[in-house]
Amino acid sequence: MAEAIHKKLQSELEKYQQMQKDVSKSMTSRQKLEAQLTENNIVKEELALLDSQNTVYKLIGPVLVKQDLDEAKATVSKRLEYINGEIQRYETLLKELERKSEQHREVLSSLQQEYQRAQAQNP
Amino acid sequence: MCVSDTLQKMHVHIYRQCISVIITVNYSCIVARKQSLFQHMLSTLPKCIEQAKAYSTVVTVGSLHAVKLLYVKVVKDCRSQFEHWKKVENDYESLQERLRTLPDKLSYDIMVPFGPLAFMPGKLVHTNELTVLLGDNWFAKCSAKQADALVEHRKKHVKNTLDDLQKVMKNFQNRADFTDDLEKLTGDTGDFVDIREEVINEEEVTKAKHRLAHKANSKPKQEYLLDLEEDKEKKEGDEEGTTGVLSEEELWARLDELERQEELQDERYRLDSTDTNGEDTTSSSEEEKEADGGSDVQVNGHQKENGWVPTSITSQMNGTNGSHPEDEEEEDCDEEAGNGLPTIYFSHTAEFKKVRINTGKNTTLKFSERNEQKAQAKRKKKSGKSNGHSPHESYKITSPADIYRVFVDLVNGEPIPRKSILKSRSRENSVCSDTSESSTADFEERRAAFGRSWSHDDATHSDTSDGITEEESPTGTSPHTNGCFEAFTSTVIEKDPLPCSIPHLTIAPPALPTIPERKLEEVGPEAPQEPPKWMSKFKATRLHQK
Repeated sequence: MAEAIHKKLQSELEKYQQMQKDVSKSMTSRQKLEAQLTENNIVKEELALLDSQNTVYKLIGPVLVKQDLDEAKATVSKRLEYINGEIQRYETLLKELERKSEQHREVLSSLQQEYQRAQAQNP
Repeated sequence: MCVSDTLQKMHVHIYRQCISVIITVNYSCIVARKQSLFQHMLSTLPKCIEQAKAYSTVVTVGSLHAVKLLYVKVVKDCRSQFEHWKKVENDYESLQERLRTLPDKLSYDIMVPFGPLAFMPGKLVHTNELTVLLGDNWFAKCSAKQADALVEHRKKHVKNTLDDLQKVMKNFQNRADFTDDLEKLTGDTGDFVDIREEVINEEEVTKAKHRLAHKANSKPKQEYLLDLEEDKEKKEGDEEGTTGVLSEEELWARLDELERQEELQDERYRLDSTDTNGEDTTSSSEEEKEADGGSDVQVNGHQKENGWVPTSITSQMNGTNGSHPEDEEEEDCDEEAGNGLPTIYFSHTAEFKKVRINTGKNTTLKFSERNEQKAQAKRKKKSGKSNGHSPHESYKITSPADIYRVFVDLVNGEPIPRKSILKSRSRENSVCSDTSESSTADFEERRAAFGRSWSHDDATHSDTSDGITEEESPTGTSPHTNGCFEAFTSTVIEKDPLPCSIPHLTIAPPALPTIPERKLEEVGPEAPQEPPKWMSKFKATRLHQK
């Protein structure tokens, strides 16, 4: 009896750990997105400071490619929107993962109690 | 297409403008590096803020100390980041300076870095053309002044970051300070202070037999008090975690210790007297238990300011410890109460303590005097049994206190102070209400109970000073009446005072009938032996006085 509970406990523990890893992964990606968000915001502001006389280049690989200022502005705005959307997605994902991990935690604790009880009963 | 075009253009221009390109590239690299650094910093900042948030949530869990450590860590991190951003700002400042001075000349002669290890002389041209990294792989060609504006714009961001960091740092610093204060508060256990009084002359021997007069208080009551104290302290101890509360085991250990001391003393007494010490030990054990409780009550930092309790218990404690009350008022403060508490070491000056002695209710007598007198009386009476000479010395009645000393019944070899003839609540509890038994063993028990009941009364805050009379008069009168047994009646007892005993008897109102009767019965077995003695002694005293 105790053995079975022990095995169950182990499996649950592994699942929980996996979940935790997922949580941390999504956390890091979200942070990355946040950084990009701030960066693109700055780019947008600085592009606003420029006028059409200045040529704008985009670095694609090793090449600086000439871009139109307006085009650049549009591109940056689009990128910003995309980033925002991604962040939202990751937010929801993170919440979901959190909830699941909570459930898992509860299950784990109950299993642990059972295991302890079983241990006490048959020493 | 676009890419190849650009490449061609580059190729075309490369010779003409190679240096300028390099320079601009270099500049842009520098800017880019700064930019990337800047971006990196910006990216890490949210992380830091989140970390800080995480720290703040963690605060709610864990001990104060750990929390404080956490806060300190956060503050340290914030500080390091602050340093970093400050550096970035400084770099931007210098860059701005360079941008301002750069267009002053058409071309500059410089040493151009050629790879990581080599330089070559070259010229810096097109000094106003700058390719600036805007972020996210976006570049813009602009003049120095425009670049300057961009840099200004970036500096604004850096400043904002610095301000945020400052705020976070201050916040967490405040939190750390607060936890410090909290720790201090709880560590000092608030206002609780352990007051200790060092006991000197613990082993001083006094005749503990006088203790029999005021037996141990009714234990339940004492224990109840004790428990209250303990409970109160336990609660506070839980809260604060530092108040020291004597455990039961410690109490019993102390009890045993006192018992041992008592036995030692009893051994000494055995040399003097022929009395059995069984009673002593039993009574002393009770007293020790009380003493334990009493000391507990006293030693702990939160004393119930119950006026009589500490004094009476202390008096008993003194008795059990064998310390002469006359010399000093000592409290046995060996218990480790309140290890973590600040301790005040307190010592009394030597003085006579006025203690309510368990001689019925409302007794306020100078404890030391009484003890001493009783001890003397006891000793002398005991010796008087054998030789009959010494009693005369002790019966010099010069003060009312002497009366109490003198008129102490020697019942079963133990001097019992006479019960007061005053009405007292103790009578209900006292053994005297039990008038059915007459055996010596029972008498001893009764006596013990009697004393206990007296002490019980003592615990109930009696205030008059007639307890002694209560105690002594019955015992005093009964022997006398035993001599003229036939004529003796209960009512007569109180009115049948010995001439010498008039002073104290007149003070006391008539006692209840039951007491003398009981005393009669108790003393009955000893009647043949003692009354004659008493009579003789009394007569002797009278004669002596006259």
